[in-house]
Amino acid sequence: MSESVTPSPQGAGGVSEVRSHNVIGGTIVAVLGLALLGFSFYMPNTTMVPRILAVLIALAGIGTAMGVIPVQGPRDFYGGLVLVMAPTLALISSAELPGQRGFAFGPGTAPRLFSLILAALGAMVAVGGVFAEGPPIEKYKIRGPLLVIIGILAFAAMIRPLGLFPATFLAFMISILGSTEMRWIESLIAAVAMTVFCWLLFVFLLGLPFQLWPRF
Amino acid sequence: MTELLSHLGQGMGVVFFHSVYWLFGSIPIPLNVMWCLIGALVGTLVGVLPGIGTVATIAMLLPITFGLPPVGALIMLAGIYYGAQYGGSTTSVLVNIPGEATSVITCLDGHQMARQGRAGPALSIAAIGSFFAGCVATVLVAALGAPLTSLALLFGPAEYFSLMVLGLIFAVVLAKGSVLKAVAMVLTGLLLSMVGSDLETGAGRMTFDIAELADGIGFANIAMGVFGFAEIIRNLELPAESRDIVQAKITGLMPTRKDLIDSAGAIVRGTALGSLLGILPGGGAVIASFAAYTFEKKIAKDPSRFGRGAIEGVAAPESANNAAAQTSFIPLLTLGIPPNAVMALMVGAMTIHGIVPGPQVMTKQPELFWGMISSMWIGNLMLIVINLPLVGLWVSLLRVPYRLLYPSIIVFCCIGIYSINNSPTDVLISAIFGVIGFWLVKHDFEPAPMLLGFVLGPLMEENLRRAMLIARGDATVFFTRPISAVLLTTAIILLVIAALPKIRRRRDEVFVE
Repeated sequence: MSESVTPSPQGAGGVSEVRSHNVIGGTIVAVLGLALLGFSFYMPNTTMVPRILAVLIALAGIGTAMGVIPVQGPRDFYGGLVLVMAPTLALISSAELPGQRGFAFGPGTAPRLFSLILAALGAMVAVGGVFAEGPPIEKYKIRGPLLVIIGILAFAAMIRPLGLFPATFLAFMISILGSTEMRWIESLIAAVAMTVFCWLLFVFLLGLPFQLWPRF
Repeated sequence: MTELLSHLGQGMGVVFFHSVYWLFGSIPIPLNVMWCLIGALVGTLVGVLPGIGTVATIAMLLPITFGLPPVGALIMLAGIYYGAQYGGSTTSVLVNIPGEATSVITCLDGHQMARQGRAGPALSIAAIGSFFAGCVATVLVAALGAPLTSLALLFGPAEYFSLMVLGLIFAVVLAKGSVLKAVAMVLTGLLLSMVGSDLETGAGRMTFDIAELADGIGFANIAMGVFGFAEIIRNLELPAESRDIVQAKITGLMPTRKDLIDSAGAIVRGTALGSLLGILPGGGAVIASFAAYTFEKKIAKDPSRFGRGAIEGVAAPESANNAAAQTSFIPLLTLGIPPNAVMALMVGAMTIHGIVPGPQVMTKQPELFWGMISSMWIGNLMLIVINLPLVGLWVSLLRVPYRLLYPSIIVFCCIGIYSINNSPTDVLISAIFGVIGFWLVKHDFEPAPMLLGFVLGPLMEENLRRAMLIARGDATVFFTRPISAVLLTTAIILLVIAALPKIRRRRDEVFVE
């Protein structure tokens, strides 16, 4: 199963033009593969399987970056590779768990079993992405998603020290910045209204114990 | 038959007569009816928002049910479910943006009717059709519940494991997208479910020594991240919307006598199709609505009317998807196996309340089981009672621009997640899963199978371990025990059929349509 991760390049002459996104994508994959390899040496008791997988992932990444692997369906290719990385990580982190003892499954048996199956499936998806033509990866728009995520993280960071009102208001204002059509006055009014609504619903109606203002 | 009626009666009793007295103990308030009503109301409220589907709605509203007693919470969730679905249809008719796959087909004729100034009849026929379908399906769920449950009680661990495999394969094959990728997603979910303490030995698994992961990843965090946050982020990427809201005032809510006569047959046929297809795991409700529409078009005297505002084109798919939505509770309540993402959310909610869904629920907690089934009917009734008069409100909600809506939803979700355990880490984990969900969509992975795998994970592992222990480590047990062998063979055949190129192409067509 694991050898299928690096699909053999299609003939020596089959090296097609190197697309810039494959250089970037391949480099990311290679770096992640090497990071997994390093992690597997850092964690005690790691077996050979995840190390081999990590090496194969890194090789696949290097091959893609150099244009040796002509990727036809990048969505599936990179998606599949990540689905090999995730179980590799799971294998490394569950390596020290005891496995099968006699007839009984140990705590580590099922995670390892399912990890290996997932790695095989991920490899199949990735190989499919090399040979079957597929749509390119959609462009990521940075602004909206980034600010929404920052807003959520800000809420997580603020809710304990600052309390419900400031956290809700600020998280609202941060995430609304992600929209290109944002208008200040309207947004401020909406933020206040939403904060009051959330207080009404969660604190007043549902009676949940929230700290409302910062405590000094 | 009498047994059936007495069961339903018991359920109605739970729903109606569990009251608290208000105003110095003088006015009885049926609490569970109230939860159902509130659920249907907020479900519609969120479900009406364009681009937010049923699963996302339920995921977002999950936290507000956690404070209630189990029966009340599940009844409220059922209300949210029907509300969300009906809200999706409202958006389809008025804005021509389907909230989710099941109401895609409603757009075709529903929106045309709205443009002809008949949005009122379209919406009310959708509600009436849904209500009729709901009534029939409720009885069906009650009737099939008992026999299937007694069947499930015969199952040993090996059979259970095989049944879950079959259920997952079914769900994967009947959903849209690549089967291989969906199976990979199921396994990802299974792996995620193993993070945390091992059930038998208590050993911490794959926790990376992070204390917050010792109890595993919270179900609500994954659901909210992958469906709530990811969906909002994805909507933000879309170009500034050009919504086509029907501006004409909605007049004449009630359908005419002719409308009713025209759609009666369609409603009955849609209900029948939907009830049958809904029991199948996977996109039962989606397939049902498509099938019902196609069927109506085939048998119509004048098929060219379809797509130009034929009322049957609204009545049939709406009845079908509601019937299917309801009968999809059957595998969950009797076998404990969630057939789709919505039911997976239900399992998550039940587990949080300490209920393990499965055959033992009916025998051990009959009031919960029958109460929930009866509340489905109540939920449908609520839709008619509250939603028709409130159409105007939903329309005005549709006029709120997305730039103001999405931050509201974000903070609402944040507070919801935080309130479950008072843990900021939960919010952080949801944010991570939001990013993961966003990435998954970019790479054409469906998040729903992952959630199914995550929910079924602990059960599957437990049964697998027990089966292997009983069989003394002999893995062939899954093929030597007859029931298990049949189930697994069916699963394999299904996978092979789905992989055949001819079927695959046909399948793509069905879901693209």
